[in-house]
Amino acid sequence: MSAPAENIPTFKVVLVGDGGVGKTTFVKRHISGEFEKRYLATMGVEVHPLKFFTNFGPILMNVWDTAGQEKLGGLRDGYYIQGNAAIIMFDVTSRMTYKNVPQWHRDLVRVCENIPIVLCGNKVDIKDRKVKAKSITFHRKKSLQYYELSAKSNYNFEKPFLWIARKLIGNPTLNFVESPALAPPEVKLDEAHVLQMENEINMVANIPLPDEDDVEG
Amino acid sequence: MSDPVATPAAPAAPTKDAEAIVKDEDCSKEYEPVVRLAEVETKTGEEDEEVVFKMRSKLFRFNKEQKEWKERGTGDVRILKHKENRKIRLLMRREKTLKICLNHYINPSVELRENVGSDRSWVWHGVDYADGERDEATLAIRFRDSTNATAFKEAYDSARDYLRKLLDGKDPDAAAGEEVKAEEAKGKESPEEVAKVDAPNAEEAKEDTKEAAS
Repeated sequence: MSAPAENIPTFKVVLVGDGGVGKTTFVKRHISGEFEKRYLATMGVEVHPLKFFTNFGPILMNVWDTAGQEKLGGLRDGYYIQGNAAIIMFDVTSRMTYKNVPQWHRDLVRVCENIPIVLCGNKVDIKDRKVKAKSITFHRKKSLQYYELSAKSNYNFEKPFLWIARKLIGNPTLNFVESPALAPPEVKLDEAHVLQMENEINMVANIPLPDEDDVEG
Repeated sequence: MSDPVATPAAPAAPTKDAEAIVKDEDCSKEYEPVVRLAEVETKTGEEDEEVVFKMRSKLFRFNKEQKEWKERGTGDVRILKHKENRKIRLLMRREKTLKICLNHYINPSVELRENVGSDRSWVWHGVDYADGERDEATLAIRFRDSTNATAFKEAYDSARDYLRKLLDGKDPDAAAGEEVKAEEAKGKESPEEVAKVDAPNAEEAKEDTKEAAS
């Protein structure tokens, strides 16, 4: 979308937390909008450039989505080096993932000494919550920002990046604004093409959309 | 300064037990900014368009490799009409981040189809440019209920009609009456229309005879 020559402020944001807490799903929500139900463990690290449009111009956050599973290699210092900000994520339906937050925090601040960090409790849409709100206190001890999230329902899904962006540019009045909706090219389709599309539609229209009980839309 | 996190379209906290959710509190710690930026004037790219239709919805895109629907975004779907060239496009932004997840002109030959067993969603095919690149996508859109879905289809279909007229070189903004006149001008094939046109004259003629009688 953006020309490679475009010179926009770019930041490294490290995303850590135990395996399965929803780090990759959260990032995918921001990239393509999709919500991935299946769990596919991330190997090593995947760097995702997330562009945000703000009233201070566009900014780019290179999100380092890391493997949460120790057995897949743990994290070397290289993942943290030159991190401008970080997100530590846990799953409110798993006590163990919250218990491991101090370890993730230690690893992080050993390399990144004084960067803005957001602690996120994900999966708050699930009814059987195990980590109670009043037991979440780690962020107060360490001066972290804390947000409850649901990557599934989009609850608070923009807030970690909004808070980080405000800290990185040092201005609390930063807000996300409409990205420019350029006029799309006009597309002319020949009849054969339209026919092929019609065939595809006939097949796909028989596959129901997910979560038909969803009242949001 | 308005805060986009506080818009009325905010998804509700997904649990009814308010106690279970930690209320947002701001961490007061100060950090040295990495860069200093000045506030800029931003453009939506929609400045020359009018909103013909707007409704909250959820958009899906069919993934051919995995053979399943994937969510593309939740937010207001809008039908926008350009004030000068009169082209009409479908545009949708994800709520909160305001990024684009749907952006293509309505094609008069593309119909909305029903999605199996659902009275509140539609399926269609579009060559979409949401991410700036050409994407031949099979898309689906779902609304809160069938009333909203019907309203969308009506707006979409009238946009198709409008664009077809534009394509055929007709003036889609001409009032219905003017169109009738234009048809008449072509030749009075329709006896009904002829009758309608003649009727006032017939009345006049009656008046004339009355006057003549008195």
